[in-house]
Amino acid sequence: MASSSSSGLTFKLHPLVMVNISDHYTRVKSQMNPPVTSTSCSNTNGNGNGAPAPPPRVYGCVIGVQRGRTVEIFNSFELLYDSATDSLDRAFLLKKQELYKKVFPNFYVLGWYSTGSDAEESDMHIHKALMDINESPVYVLLNPAINHAQKDLPVTIYESEMHVIDGIPQLIFVNSSYTIETVEAERISVDHVAHLKPSDGGSAATQLAAHLTSIHSAIKMLNSRIRVLHHYLVAMQKGEIPYENSLLRQVSSLLRRLPAIESEKFQDDFLMEYSDTLLITYLAMFTNCSSTMNELVEKFNTAYDRHSRRGGRTAFI
Amino acid sequence: MDPYPSSSQIAQKTWELENDIVSVDTPATSSSADAASDAIFYYDDVAQAKFQQEKPWANDPHYFRRVKISALALLKMVVHARSGGTIEVMGLMQGKTDGDAIIVMDAFALPVEGTETRVNAQADAYEYMVDYSQTNKQAGRLENVVGWYHSHPGYGCWLSGIDVSTQMLNQQFQEPFLAVVIDPTRTVSAGKVEIGAFRTYPEGYKPPDDPVSEYQTIPLNKIEDFGVHCKQYYSLDITYFKSSLDSHLLDLLWNKYWVNTLSSSPLLGNGDYVAGQISDLAEKLEQAENQLAHSRFGSLIAPPQRKKEEESQLAKITRDSAKITVEQVHGLMSQVIKDILFNSVRQSSRSRAEPSEPEPEPMVES
Repeated sequence: MASSSSSGLTFKLHPLVMVNISDHYTRVKSQMNPPVTSTSCSNTNGNGNGAPAPPPRVYGCVIGVQRGRTVEIFNSFELLYDSATDSLDRAFLLKKQELYKKVFPNFYVLGWYSTGSDAEESDMHIHKALMDINESPVYVLLNPAINHAQKDLPVTIYESEMHVIDGIPQLIFVNSSYTIETVEAERISVDHVAHLKPSDGGSAATQLAAHLTSIHSAIKMLNSRIRVLHHYLVAMQKGEIPYENSLLRQVSSLLRRLPAIESEKFQDDFLMEYSDTLLITYLAMFTNCSSTMNELVEKFNTAYDRHSRRGGRTAFI
Repeated sequence: MDPYPSSSQIAQKTWELENDIVSVDTPATSSSADAASDAIFYYDDVAQAKFQQEKPWANDPHYFRRVKISALALLKMVVHARSGGTIEVMGLMQGKTDGDAIIVMDAFALPVEGTETRVNAQADAYEYMVDYSQTNKQAGRLENVVGWYHSHPGYGCWLSGIDVSTQMLNQQFQEPFLAVVIDPTRTVSAGKVEIGAFRTYPEGYKPPDDPVSEYQTIPLNKIEDFGVHCKQYYSLDITYFKSSLDSHLLDLLWNKYWVNTLSSSPLLGNGDYVAGQISDLAEKLEQAENQLAHSRFGSLIAPPQRKKEEESQLAKITRDSAKITVEQVHGLMSQVIKDILFNSVRQSSRSRAEPSEPEPEPMVES
């Protein structure tokens, strides 16, 4: 069902959306399968009932901004699934949308989300129902199965397109690529929770170590990615893999982008920033020195105070 | 995949040992471990109601000591606080209690701009709150409101006079209730989350001598407000937790994220804030200088306690200046590293040797 999207829209996904969906799913799952508690006085019903219930599907709505060809998904909220009509509860959706509009006036309903391993036929029904709010909604699918072997994010974004199959125009889901977009604050808090960094100051050494470690990990990733490319190119050169010109062109254009900036103005600005920082360091050192000096003088004063009081002389300045 | 014995992993282990990091989540090796780590998400309303009845906090004002915040709540609060820019924003937190800990599962924003002059900002938002809670319960989020959060953009995590009176009111009628303050400007500048959780003491309660909380710099125009009220509340320890699915997602997210980490430039975004900090520091320095000048003549007569206070004033200033410098230096380090990585390669076949600029030494600990 999923082939490549040809609509030309670029999708940007914020990590908040993913954490939202994951949290929704975990909550519903854990309410369905209450954990075994040691002080279970109230858990008399169905606690150790063999296999847990199959993981539920949760549904919700994604909101964000669409500017031209770029669709940026910022946030999401939960929705109710009405199994009687096999669609999402419309009144609830409107209510929730109203609430969110008050706090985030710029965000519009962009589509909906669900969990599962693959898009299903019934999803198209829900998708069509949403089309009156947004004429081309997106469908974000999160696969909650934790598979440690997979390297890619288990999130897929589907769009609907009209395709002619067997002479009948039908709407089918097509896969779309997306990028992860973030703002600085989001990145820091995600980093914080992901790696459980220290939240308080620690010593200057700890802070420095933490800062450099994060940069180091990022550079390590860069390095490993470049190695993969390098390995691939070497194999191509040896003739093990057939030439692929489009890829070679991309690699060549990537290489031609280095060095990133080489103008005079950049060097000037860069050096100015450098000197500014050095100046701040100098000032701070100065403050440190004067404070230490002050302490020294005070201590000296205190030490010689007895002499001056007895002799009546003024304090040593 | 990774041929090198990762020195970063060794460093992380050392750091974890130093800081007694206890991992809240056990890795999901079996389904029972999965269930155990996700158990925190289960809302047991019977147990909660029972706890509500017992009210153990009524006898001990210092009853709650810890706060556990979920990854989702933290993310939402920080993003909301940052989106307000320099305007204070506020919202509510939902969760439950667990012994002496308050657990925050989720947070949502309120459509009011919290300003320091509005005592009853929440009165405007009651309708919103009721609506939101209702829809949430329907959608399967069963927790109650356990606190409120607001932001102090650029001036640190503490409770102002208005905040203290609001919180005292809350603690009278809506127990258990928690106050959380987030500083999004300092978060971005320092590269780590600036957040504090507080509870106030009831009126007239004299707290036993609390250990002095971690020092943070307060701008001069707010320092009075801070000083007057800082004894009326205590701060709670904050830890974070995430579900197994969250951990998995976040790990995978790193595969895409590293680009953002490398490309972030804290120096660019925080120029205004740093300039503000430096000018504030200059004012404080002038104040301290005046006090010191007076004490010079009074040193024979004045009791020794006076001298100690002025010295600590200057020491505080030194610590502040060290902090600003450290952040600047970190930012510059990132810039220099990026420059080395991406600018020192030339189109010719040989690449440049090690750059000659020495990296600036970080500030020594004050």
